[in-house]
Amino acid sequence: MRRALAALVVTVVAVWLLVSYETRPPRTVNPNAPLGPDPTPRAIAPRTKAAEPTPTPRPDGVDGDSRTVTGPATITPFSVIQVQVTLTKGRLTDVVTVALTGDGPHTDAINARAEPILRREALRAGGAKGIDAVSGATYTTASWKQSLQAAIDKAKGRD
Amino acid sequence: MPVTVEVRSGGGDLDALFAWLRRVDALFSPYRPDSEVARLDRGVLALADADPLVREVLADCAALHAATGGWFDARATGRLDPSGYVKGWAVDRAAGLLAGRWCINAGGDLRVGGGPWRIGIQHPRRRDRVAAVLELTDAAVATSGAYERGAHVLDPYTRRPAAGALSVTVVGPRLGTADAYATAAFALGEAGPAWTAGLAPYEAMTILPRRRVLATRGFPRRATAAAAA
Repeated sequence: MRRALAALVVTVVAVWLLVSYETRPPRTVNPNAPLGPDPTPRAIAPRTKAAEPTPTPRPDGVDGDSRTVTGPATITPFSVIQVQVTLTKGRLTDVVTVALTGDGPHTDAINARAEPILRREALRAGGAKGIDAVSGATYTTASWKQSLQAAIDKAKGRD
Repeated sequence: MPVTVEVRSGGGDLDALFAWLRRVDALFSPYRPDSEVARLDRGVLALADADPLVREVLADCAALHAATGGWFDARATGRLDPSGYVKGWAVDRAAGLLAGRWCINAGGDLRVGGGPWRIGIQHPRRRDRVAAVLELTDAAVATSGAYERGAHVLDPYTRRPAAGALSVTVVGPRLGTADAYATAAFALGEAGPAWTAGLAPYEAMTILPRRRVLATRGFPRRATAAAAA
């Protein structure tokens, strides 16, 4: 299975997120509520950046071109986190939380926030075929937008 | 900052739409000395005397400033500049002038009516590529990033360009809010993804260095797996 020898570079993002998230009360603001003159301030993540853990994963399974790796259990001040990632042909294709523990409402609040963003994937670049429009950074230059839009139009046969 | 607005629509009053956008520009442009925003900034116009639309936008900006813990800041440049919110807000207001299947593209921030529309998300490193393709119906999508025109999002606390993420895309019902959230999440840098986890029905995708992508669970599934690189 030489093709499975793709380098394993695993960053346990869940750990990073929890570590970087300090003690905060659960959010009470409903962001969907109409904007009013007196909103309740929303607690957000602190500006201090936590050190990113550098786990040393061990292979759990190799299946053709993909392999699944479970990171080490990492203890945060509030919980134990362990995630499992799957690499396919060297690309991160799945992240699963295999252990997420903790006691008390504080941990629950943290986990409630961290858990929803565990959907993770590697960045891919694709062509512009079959696209109606492109969302990019605000204030993109006209020439750049036009070149991409032109490529899209050409791909769609409208040129 | 000039913004190109492109409208695709099978029906509706396009003349009224662009008349509305011109009115917005006249009221809000910080680059026009005679705009109400510029006069407010110079202190020659009192807020109480400003147009009700201006007061509405500034109230929205204040609410978003609080809702984002200060990370969305209409005064991040040191001057009053609500442009980052006004553009989306104006598009949201214009939506009522269109009918059927339509798409408004305001400088890379979009709102679509009907659908599905296939919307590409600009790849932050390769200008001729897209990082994802979303199928959206009746939705707004805004992307904030630093890959074009230098870094234009300032960290309101340091007043220096934000760093940590390559781009943040937010999808939700209103473009003004989506744009503000994208701006705030981008300014938050590496703490941005955690913050976006609680914004439903607004969903976010953050592209980080080293090909890392973090999306909230409700972020629209990619319409297609992009071509293998």
